[in-house]
Amino acid sequence: MKRIAFFLAVITLTGANLFSADALKVVTTTEDLASLTREVGGDRVEVTSIARGYQDPHAVEAKPSFLLLLKKANLLEVVGLELEIGWLPPLLDQSRNNNIRPGATGYLDVSQGVEILDRPAGAINRSMGDVHPLGNPHYWLDPANAVRIAIQVRNRLAKLRPADAAYFDQRLNSFKVRINDANKRWLAAMAPFKEAKIVTYHNSWPNFTRHFGLNVVEHVEPKPGIPPSPSHTLQVINTVKREGIRAIVMEPYFDRKTPQSIAERTGAKVVVLYPSVGGKAGLDDYFKLFDYNINELVKALK
Amino acid sequence: MTAKGHRALLLVILFIAAPLGAQQTTAENRIRQLESRMDDLTRQMGEIRQEIDQLKGQPAAPQPQPAPSLTDVQTISNTPSPGASKVFNPDISVIGNIIGKAGQANPFELGDDIRQPLRLEESEFAFQAFIDPYAKASFFLAVNQEGIEVEEGFAQFVTLPHDLTAKVGKFKAAFGKDNTWHAHVRPWVDQPLVIHNLFGDEGFADHGISVSKSINNPWNAFIEATGEVTNGDVENIFERSSFNDLAYNGHLKVFRDISENSNVEVGTSYARGSLGDVHSQFGGVDVTYRWKPLEGGLYNSFIARLEAITNRRGDADERLNGFYASADYQLGRRWFTGLRLDSSDRFVDGAIPNDRGVSATLTFWPSEFSQVRGQLRRTRYGDARTVNEILFQLQFSIGAHGAHVF
Repeated sequence: MKRIAFFLAVITLTGANLFSADALKVVTTTEDLASLTREVGGDRVEVTSIARGYQDPHAVEAKPSFLLLLKKANLLEVVGLELEIGWLPPLLDQSRNNNIRPGATGYLDVSQGVEILDRPAGAINRSMGDVHPLGNPHYWLDPANAVRIAIQVRNRLAKLRPADAAYFDQRLNSFKVRINDANKRWLAAMAPFKEAKIVTYHNSWPNFTRHFGLNVVEHVEPKPGIPPSPSHTLQVINTVKREGIRAIVMEPYFDRKTPQSIAERTGAKVVVLYPSVGGKAGLDDYFKLFDYNINELVKALK
Repeated sequence: MTAKGHRALLLVILFIAAPLGAQQTTAENRIRQLESRMDDLTRQMGEIRQEIDQLKGQPAAPQPQPAPSLTDVQTISNTPSPGASKVFNPDISVIGNIIGKAGQANPFELGDDIRQPLRLEESEFAFQAFIDPYAKASFFLAVNQEGIEVEEGFAQFVTLPHDLTAKVGKFKAAFGKDNTWHAHVRPWVDQPLVIHNLFGDEGFADHGISVSKSINNPWNAFIEATGEVTNGDVENIFERSSFNDLAYNGHLKVFRDISENSNVEVGTSYARGSLGDVHSQFGGVDVTYRWKPLEGGLYNSFIARLEAITNRRGDADERLNGFYASADYQLGRRWFTGLRLDSSDRFVDGAIPNDRGVSATLTFWPSEFSQVRGQLRRTRYGDARTVNEILFQLQFSIGAHGAHVF
């Protein structure tokens, strides 16, 4: 009898330990949120991103295979500001997971706690292109917003797993120190190019360019989401020549043809910057993403 | 007032005045201290001014701006948007579908109607919103020259236990792929022959209840089984003649990623209902293959579809069979082309001729919210006649940004 009791106690304790050691399953809509969640969550979270870093996050397909991820998730983190409006709502409706629906503890829209730029001040309509009525959703490209995201992630993880709150605190503090150091390095590298004028393909970089003091004077897209037209391209060429612009910044998922054509006619350089972690091999986390992007920009602006 | 009263009043005044006098003395001391301090500051300011005057001749050394410390950053509580008061209004969108036709007359499609070269075929009004934490309501109203029809109107219960979801109301039956699509989602101007001949122009949509269950499996596939019970009164498909003449539909869908860029979906469907005094049964198989590279998916993609349906009607001697096979390729960010092969039996007064067709499409998207499509269609109706047509379509949507259809 004693042996049985001992055996049961061992099983119970082992089971309890295994249960508490279970990592929280976190699904993020983008790789950037996944990277920041790993920074805070460490080995207490198992993070998967729906969109890949080399994919346009506006244009993800609502594949049923994502439902398998969402169904098992403890926490869903979204960029918000309608970045995922074209694909996340039907996935959530079919996820069969009430814990990650908006309003639940397992749903975290990190746009609620970050600095948002380009909020439309007046009336907007679709003649302005595919505008984001709630503000520019590419806010994660500001290191200060990365900290704000990390704080929100810490708070939510701690709410879901209070026993690990101290662990998340320690990881958050470590992240803050490391990103602060990295930020000093990035700002120093970009300091010589303060107020440098650039052209970007899509309006994905307002937070990034403001943080590093760059001045975006034109976009290759005539309006958000509208492919370049010949007349607008001519206008961009004239602007690049007139302003002596040295860099045309574009994302990897857009066609290089038009930016390349502008570059050939003006002497500017096309710089492919990655707006997301995982945009190419080696850009495995938020720090490497910025290291790469800053390095590429410095090379182009020199 | 008596003398006694006067004395009492005097005492009270004295009691009050004594502390006031003390306070006055303290205040005077404080003023003297401040005056002294002010004199000191004035003297120090003069000294600083002298030092500044001495330094004025020299250029000021640039002071490096210290980087703001990210360790002190705090979250921002974003205020609600000005439109927050309207958030409980349903998402509303309107889709216009303008169809043009040219080429040979097609009496098989129009009957005795005279073809109109261009007309607003249909406007679809969509309203969608959450009812409460448990259910979402969707209404799709089709407005055309015949009037207004509720194409679909249902409550969808998305928080059920045991991996279930349910719909109650009028909805398109989960039979195959094409039958579930609204007109603006189809990659063609028209319906494939097999849908047109076996389900009619309005398709298989009925009032009832639909329950879907996601099935766990070890193959990393998304498997969903759907069971539906409906009234069983659907024009061209079912005709109920008694209270118990309900229609039943079942659909099994299996979806699996082949790679990051490609996936396959296989479905099978079965439906049964009454057709007056007899029964009518439908069986179907659908296969969809998609290729869309994640990095270049904005510019190139490919979808191949095959859907086959068989229908056994109690009033026909033979089964009616049909299928379509199609391939659509995205040529660029805004350009798409496609090819479709059609074959379908048609039930006409007991006879079952077989119609065959081939179509080629070219589609241009000015933006995500509008598209222009041309379709060349050649159809052989039984052994009677071959009709060559050019179909044109302009579609546009206004209102809420709906989800992209997958």
